Amino acid sequence: MSAPLALGVAAGAVLSGTSLLYATLGETLGERAGIVNLGLEGIMLMGASVGFATTAATGSPWLGLGAAAAAGGLGNLLFGWLVVTRRANQLAGGLAMLFFGFGASALIGAPYVGAVITGLPKWRPAFLQELPWVRGTTLFHYDILIWLAAPVTGLVWWALFRTRWGLGVRAVGESPAAAYASGRDPGVLQYQALAAGGVLGGLAGAHLALSLTLTWAEYMTAGRGFIAIALVIFSKWRPLRALAGALLFGGAEALELQLQARGAGISPFLLEMFPYLLTILVLLAWGGSRRLFAPAALGRTFYGLD
Amino acid sequence: MQHKGASILALAALALASGRARADTPSLVIGAVYVGSVNDYGYNRSFHDAFAQVGKDLPGVKLLEAENVPESAEVERVMEGMIQQGARLIFPTSFGYQDAARRVAKRHKDVAFEFAGDGPTAKNFGVFFGSTQAAWYPMGVAAGKMTRSAKLGFVIGMPIGYALGNVNAFELGARSVNPAARTFVVVTGGWSDKAKEAGAANALLDQGCDVVAMHVDSPATIIQTVEARGGMSIGFQSVEARALAPKGWLTGLGFDWAPFVAKVARSVMANQFRGEAVYQGLGGMVAMAPFGAAVPPDVQALVNAAAAKVAKGFNPFTGPLKTNTGALALPPGATVGADQMGGLNWYVEGVVGKVR
Repeated sequence: MSAPLALGVAAGAVLSGTSLLYATLGETLGERAGIVNLGLEGIMLMGASVGFATTAATGSPWLGLGAAAAAGGLGNLLFGWLVVTRRANQLAGGLAMLFFGFGASALIGAPYVGAVITGLPKWRPAFLQELPWVRGTTLFHYDILIWLAAPVTGLVWWALFRTRWGLGVRAVGESPAAAYASGRDPGVLQYQALAAGGVLGGLAGAHLALSLTLTWAEYMTAGRGFIAIALVIFSKWRPLRALAGALLFGGAEALELQLQARGAGISPFLLEMFPYLLTILVLLAWGGSRRLFAPAALGRTFYGLD
Repeated sequence: MQHKGASILALAALALASGRARADTPSLVIGAVYVGSVNDYGYNRSFHDAFAQVGKDLPGVKLLEAENVPESAEVERVMEGMIQQGARLIFPTSFGYQDAARRVAKRHKDVAFEFAGDGPTAKNFGVFFGSTQAAWYPMGVAAGKMTRSAKLGFVIGMPIGYALGNVNAFELGARSVNPAARTFVVVTGGWSDKAKEAGAANALLDQGCDVVAMHVDSPATIIQTVEARGGMSIGFQSVEARALAPKGWLTGLGFDWAPFVAKVARSVMANQFRGEAVYQGLGGMVAMAPFGAAVPPDVQALVNAAAAKVAKGFNPFTGPLKTNTGALALPPGATVGADQMGGLNWYVEGVVGKVR
């Protein structure tokens, strides 16, 4: 792999992998608490459209970012009410959230299609500005969501594995009855995990709209929410591996575009399939048995508090 | 006596009211169906602008618009709904509406249809489109003169014949002024995948292209991405897109549908609609956008000269032409006409990319 191609893939991987990473981290939090949200795509779309609409209406991408986070959090809380309090089937409820998010985001975003916004500002550290292989590229010229991607990953890891709260969340995901017996309220912990996860999902959508494309279009996530759900499994529900997974998939998507831009003599249709083929292959090779790694009570409803 | 007076008054009021209602009844209701949003600085906007223009110019025209209608059974419903609201002229503007539009046209022989695409015509079904392929030749001239790296980028949604033709004409125009110019093609896989479009534009810039053109539904994302990184862009679909790139805009192509729409609307109002196939190029349905500030006068003159050549009938698709795999695309003297563009399946020499 030549230098311009490698650099191009690295640059593209970070740009397109960031929203995947936030979405994967958000879904990981929920699934660690035992709730699988198939409607992650809808949460991302709501974050994107509310974020874009707010930015277009107020002129401030920061307000848009906050609104997107709030929209994602509220969306996931709504989903939580469906599956925790009302005890709806999680898979069906998730799909319902998907279509709800699709429609709500289209409704909210419709008046703002075509609006030109100032997106999130980007920074590059001064000492990197001088490097010849950096200048002129998108490398290290990132908005706040990309700069915070690794720290947020660390934060989610720390919250899940180094705090009492995280212990409780994981306990609920493994065995809500055991968590309840230890004095915790499984429902409250699940709501909290979903709220935090929803905020991350909303930020994932916001990155697409407020930084990457600076626009809003119906269904602009184009399946990224489902890729994130697959990445949660690929990363074995561990946030640090989610970082690797998001970079891998983002890199695959960047590679297929960079190869076309260089002229690789490969059919564009095959290249377009490449990121998804890679995901399948990686899941086959390293997915392992879900039974061994998934939170034991994932997808189950806890009836114990009646 | 009083009753008679009251009834005369009532009749008079009724006559006035119905007279006013008749004045309010439009003389023609036009229905327009869009696959995207009319605010997209692109394809859908070009139609919306034309219909709005005709609505202003022609008296008594009422416009019904439906945006974001997917290319599915939904569009049949939408068109039926418009006909129920009195539409007598329907414009299904997206290529994927073809089957649905033809079915509705068969059911409503008294409603005129003008489909933006190709295929057979019927008594109440006409087809039309702006032939953009030859018009990309002067765009290539502009790009070929302005590029410093001799690498041009072209983002297309899907490798259909019309898109390939645009790319080929672009490269032929660039080569005519810059023999070293090459055009690199990135296919996004869809006409409106914004994140992929941003990635494609970034990839082309990463690999050294400094002028980027496109054939997707809306040029906005690509132009904004290129502008943010200091590249030059050539727009497509709507000439309004130049507002997005104050520094890097070179020139662009857009559709000017208004004169054709007005002509068709008048023919429907006079009950003289004929379903025909109408294709116009540069100077007709296809218009050139104003130049950006970055383009010096001598380049403008070259581009205008090339545009005039095309408007007079110059066809860049004239043999001998070689494909980018070395095969002979067109023997000497052979041409590809505007009506044959849909079947094009090769890239001309100088384009870097594989068709399928």
